[in-house]
Formats: sequence, C-alpha cells, structure tokens
Amino acid sequence: MIKLTDIEKIYRTNTIETTALNKININIDKGEFVAIMGPSGCGKSTLLNIIGLLDAPTGGMINIDNQAVTSLSRKKLAVFRNLKLGFIFQSYHLINDLSVIDNVELPLLYRSGISGAERRKRAMEALGKVGLGARTKHYPNQLSGGQRQRVAIARAIIGNPEILLADEPTGNLDSAMGDEVMNLMLHLNKTDGTTIVMVTHDAHMAKKTQRIIHFFDGQQVS
Amino acid sequence: MLRKKYYTALTLIGISLTIMIIVIFASFIDQIVSANKPEVNRDRTLILDKLSIYKDGKKNNAGPSINFLQKNIGNLESTEAISYFSGTGFISTLNGKTAGHMLTFTDGNFWKITDFEFTEGKPFRSEEVKKGTRVAVINEKTKSYFFNEKEALGKDIAIMGLSYKVIGVVKSATPFSRVYADVYVPYTTDANIQRKNKAIEGSYSALLLAKTTDLRKVRAELRNNLRKYTFSEADSVKAHAFTALEQFSKSTSADDAEPQYGKTAMIVFIILTLFMLIPAISLINLNVTRIGERAEEIGVRKSFGATSGDLVGQLVIENIIITLIGGMIGLGLSVYASQLLVHFINTFDPLFKMETDSFIISWRVFGFCLFSCLLLGLISGVYPAWKMSRMNVIYALKGGNNL
Repeated sequence: MIKLTDIEKIYRTNTIETTALNKININIDKGEFVAIMGPSGCGKSTLLNIIGLLDAPTGGMINIDNQAVTSLSRKKLAVFRNLKLGFIFQSYHLINDLSVIDNVELPLLYRSGISGAERRKRAMEALGKVGLGARTKHYPNQLSGGQRQRVAIARAIIGNPEILLADEPTGNLDSAMGDEVMNLMLHLNKTDGTTIVMVTHDAHMAKKTQRIIHFFDGQQVS
Repeated sequence: MLRKKYYTALTLIGISLTIMIIVIFASFIDQIVSANKPEVNRDRTLILDKLSIYKDGKKNNAGPSINFLQKNIGNLESTEAISYFSGTGFISTLNGKTAGHMLTFTDGNFWKITDFEFTEGKPFRSEEVKKGTRVAVINEKTKSYFFNEKEALGKDIAIMGLSYKVIGVVKSATPFSRVYADVYVPYTTDANIQRKNKAIEGSYSALLLAKTTDLRKVRAELRNNLRKYTFSEADSVKAHAFTALEQFSKSTSADDAEPQYGKTAMIVFIILTLFMLIPAISLINLNVTRIGERAEEIGVRKSFGATSGDLVGQLVIENIIITLIGGMIGLGLSVYASQLLVHFINTFDPLFKMETDSFIISWRVFGFCLFSCLLLGLISGVYPAWKMSRMNVIYALKGGNNL
C-alpha cells in the first residue's frame, strides 16, 4: 500500500545542512496498523508528513496504492490527499470558527459531485461512528480534548480514505481518553480495513498496533 | 467574520467610508451628465453657452446674446428644437424672512426639450412668450415657500418688482443641472434683455436638441453657418456647443473643434484608481494579517485536499461579501453624508439654499457602487489570497506562516 524507497530529507540553510531522514525504506501493507516510535527530533513526524504528501522528500521515491506520487503536480497531490489520505493531528487542528459538523464535512467540500445534503448525511454517519452524534452543533472550544480528537477522527474518515495518518493522536490526552481514541482507531482498522500509520511516543499505545518501526537520528533502526 | 469582530468592524468602516465618498462623487457626476429627468434627452442635447469672438487678430470668449442666437442658430436643420434661456436670481421677503430664488428666462421650446414633471398646471406656450405675458412656472420648493403647500395655480408672485401669474408647478431638477431654476418665466419679460445683450455678446445660452445622436452634424452645420455670416463687431465668431457629458469630460471648452476626451478621462480614471487604491492597500494589509491568524485553518484545508485555487476562491469570495456589506452600509451613509454636505454648502450662501436631498442615488449610481465594491473586493482580496495559496502546509499547521 505504501512503499518508501531511499527517502531522504535534508534541511539546508546557508551554513548548516541537517539530515532529517536518511535513506528510509519502508513497505506498509494494505490494512496494516503501524506505529512509528522514536525520540523527539528523530524524524518521525517528518516521515509522516512525507507519506501524507504535505512535505516533499529531498530524494527517494514514494509509492502509494501502486502510484508513484513524487512527480505529481501540486493540484494532483491535493486531489490525491483528498481521496486517499486522512489526517489525525496531536493538537486536533479543528477550525474553531466552524461547528463540529462543518469541521467534519470539510474534506468533502473539496470533492466534486457531492451535494450539501449528502455531505451532511455522511458527516452525521462519521460522527455517529465516533460517538458524537449529539454534538454536531457545538463548536470545538465547547468540547473536551478527547471529544475534539474524536471529531478530528470523524473528519479524517468521512471521505473513506484508504490510509489514516495519525501524528501522536493521544499525545494531548489523559490515559483514559487516549485509550478511547486508540480503541476507535483499532476498530476502524479492523472493521473497515483502513491502513493506519501512527507516530507515537507512547509504548503502551504502540504495542496495540501490528508493527512498530523504530527511528533514531533520521534512520530506521528496526 | 462575526468571531473576529474587531477585524470585521475595521474592515467595514474602511470600506463603507470609501464607498460613501465614491457614491456621493458618482451621484454628483451622474446628475451633471446622465439622462435623468427632466433632462431625458441629454445624449442629443447640446448646450451652446460660449462664443469665441475674433477681432483684429485677438480672441475674446463670451456668452452669446439672444439676438445673436436667434439670428444665427435659429434655423439649424440638424436640430429638432432650439430653446434659449438665461439664468439669474432674485430675492424675496416673506413674513420677515428673506430668501433667494434661481430664475430662468426661457421660451416654449424649453419644455419640449426637457421633460419636467408637472404636479400642477402646464408650461407656458410660444404664444405667451411672444406676447410677453407675465406667467411663471415654479418648482415645488418655491411653491412650498410662497404658498405653504396650498394651491399655487392662478396666484401671483412678485419677481423683481413685477407680478407673475403661476401657471404651473414642476418637480425640481437637480441643482447641479443647467436647467435648474426655482422659477421659469418667458424670456420676453426679461427687462434687462437689451442692456445685458449687445449685438453678439450676452447672457443667454441655447439648448439644441439634435435630430439624431450624431452631434458632429450639428456642430458642422453650426460652423458652416457661422462662416457664412458677417458681423459688424467681429471678423469671425466660433460657437461652442457640447452635451453635458462633453462639457464635463472634454479637455478644453474654448474651442469649437470636436471634443477630445483622452486627458480628462485619464485624470478621472487616475483619481478614481488612487481613491480606491488607498483603502485597497489598507484592506490588503488587513487581509495579510488575517491570513497569518488563519494559518492553521489554511494548513488544515490544504491537508484535506484544498487546492490553491480553492483557497484563493474562498478568500476572494469572503472578501467580496464583506466588501458588499460595507458597500451597502456606505450607500446608506452616503444619504446622510450628502445631506450634511448640502448643509455645509448652504452655510456659504444662506440666501440660495440647496435642498437637502439634492444628491440623488439613481440605479446607475447604485450599479456603479456595486461595481466599485466588487473591484475593491477583488483588488484587496486577490493578492493576499495568492500569498495564502503559497503558504507551506507544515508551517501553517504549526500556526505560523512562511509568507
């Protein structure tokens, strides 16, 4: 499903060259739930951003769903992200000016041929899946951290993406809420067959996934 | 918009004040040049109010006399009707109060070329003009002043010591128009006609209603006719006849050649652009700041598949909506601001007071206001939107931006 070949990311300034990722080769199968672990600054989030096509690698090839995406134009990348990928961020990144249901609908706004009524229906279904069907008219700042992350998950899954990319999704939550969110992702992986790549610091959460990839200083160590 | 009240209020104030001034400016120009009632034929009505008199190699610009007009331009074949008129003022005292009134001496054709709405009575006819009958058509403001809303027809008003019978009441023309007056009377009752009007020079003007909108024909005929005549007081005479729009927009008035518009049009365009540019730059700055505040939102939208085009479209539309709201507020404000302006102007001439509703907002002005809003929205929205579309997603998601 995801094939990374010799991925490099080097940040250059006038005086310093920093290698964030060094020749990374990873294969992730369809339906797999993978955790990426490592200390801060080891390149986990950079890798996730590259898989999510939010950042471009300095070198190497990315193949997602048998498509070489490295050479796609900005516009095609945007369409690809919209159709294939869903994002869950540590700090939720909900739009505070929009209600819960409007936040969840957002990915479908950029997909052609979906009516307003259809968007609303699918948003309700997604919110139902995360157990927030009764909070549709609330605004993000009226919700708890766990509820916000569940809204973010609903937003990530509304477009039925094949891949979910989660960047420390439980990092801002207490253990009970973290477990709740983790169980939700495990459920999505099991029932919908969604491929999930999760960056985490939390070994307890990582153990619940099918595979753990360890990173250190921009390199894959296991 | 509602959640960022300070930003929204600041933006709306800027836009509404700009649009308010543009609307007043546009309303003024609209009343000077457009085909508004009663000057519905403005596109084919020429105003001849200036002559160039050449004598012994010297040129002297002056207004024409009624004798000159009647003798030399009274028979232009390219015109449908010609009217002569002269404006002056008179003072009246009523119940201890003194007021000034604009007075126009004119003829029967005046009412054919113009389209005044008579709320009472009728205009004076050519026979009454010929006989020098002392009859008057007054506007509603004058009726209200002299007769306090009661019936005015058949009553007498004193004009310069002479008594005139009111035979008609009209709705006022705009005070910015050449045909505006409070009272209209036959020119044959003008006691000063001989004293003020020498053989060529005088205080009269002519309205020439052309048969078609090809005004070059009228001017060519006028030039040809004047070349044929000989004048005892001058070697040659050139007459300057232009429409209200030409009068406003041409580069020079002391010339009988076809009007040139380039320079004036350019000046008007530059003034308007500068006027729009200053608030537009402020709005651009505000929008760029606002984009910084919305960096996270932009990052989220991009992550979930928004293209640069989607984001540009979103911001431009948002900006146009806020500009339109500001424009509508500006339009409302312009009504009050124009009345304030009239009060201010009236303080300079307390005798000849303008009516407070002198600035009329026509559909044309409304359309121009709408156009200005869209232009302002586009100018101030496109550049920030373009910058926004170049924002790096990773930086944006961190709440900063790399603009």
